[in-house]
Amino acid sequence: MRIQLNGIKEIIPEEMTIKALIEWAKEGDPHLIVEQNGKYIYPSAYDGQAVFENDTIEFINPNLGG
Amino acid sequence: MDERYVRQIILPEIGPQGQERLARAGVLIAGVGGLGSVTALYLAAAGIGHIKIADHDSLEPSNLNRQIIHSEAFLGQPKVISAAIRMKALNPTIRVTPVQTRISSANIDALLDGVDIIVDGSDNYETRQVLNRASLRHGLPFVYAGVRGFDAMVSSFVPGRTACFECIVTGGEAPSGRGPGIVGPAAGMAASFQAMDTLKLILGIGKPLENRMVCIYGLDMRIHCVNLISNPQCKACGKLYNPDKRI
Repeated sequence: MRIQLNGIKEIIPEEMTIKALIEWAKEGDPHLIVEQNGKYIYPSAYDGQAVFENDTIEFINPNLGG
Repeated sequence: MDERYVRQIILPEIGPQGQERLARAGVLIAGVGGLGSVTALYLAAAGIGHIKIADHDSLEPSNLNRQIIHSEAFLGQPKVISAAIRMKALNPTIRVTPVQTRISSANIDALLDGVDIIVDGSDNYETRQVLNRASLRHGLPFVYAGVRGFDAMVSSFVPGRTACFECIVTGGEAPSGRGPGIVGPAAGMAASFQAMDTLKLILGIGKPLENRMVCIYGLDMRIHCVNLISNPQCKACGKLYNPDKRI
């Protein structure tokens, strides 16, 4: 299935959840912020939130420096 | 009309009454590092009546690539002193209160006496958690920013009206060593956004970054705005959030 992840077109396996996509992308930041099609996704929803064809997803790592 | 502020007073969104509001406002800048260096200068220049700056650190050579309020002559000196001298040199008409202290839950309430807005200039999760909790307790807007490498993010958290910092950022790495690499302009961009939103919040104009987080990717020169929502299960604000007040 095709999605856009952090501005880049990607082909990912079918029937993925946000949690599975995080693992697929090897995203290791436990404090990751996820946005799906312009909508913020709660961490508690990662396991049940499906990824769909042509979704636009942003993985955002919180910046804490100053 | 004070010639110093004429270029902003002629803006219809500000005018003489807006300038008066700025002069009556009190702001806490929590940290005068990469972020606070820039917000302190812009807010001082804009004529914020009283600016408190709090930071426990002394100036080190590794600060000088981005902390542009300071200068080499102040190496080894408290950052709050270096910053206060520069701010008063820029605008002697405002009141600047330097407080050399490590911000904690034990002293934040006293620091917020007379303060209308909290501006984040810190460099770690724990301090931001203290600032966020104080923001919720006192009902004061918390203008957050964070930087790493070439990137930055900014959002304004307004109690009762928006998500809070801890709805969105649930933790962070413990500070270690020198902290992350940061280029000066990343901090400068984030801090400029913070200063802009602080002025808007004081003046009640425009659309502050409420329930929005601007993410700036410096290497790609890409700016992305994330729409945020409150977390009803948030340990910090879950019971406070009132959806009727949401913008």
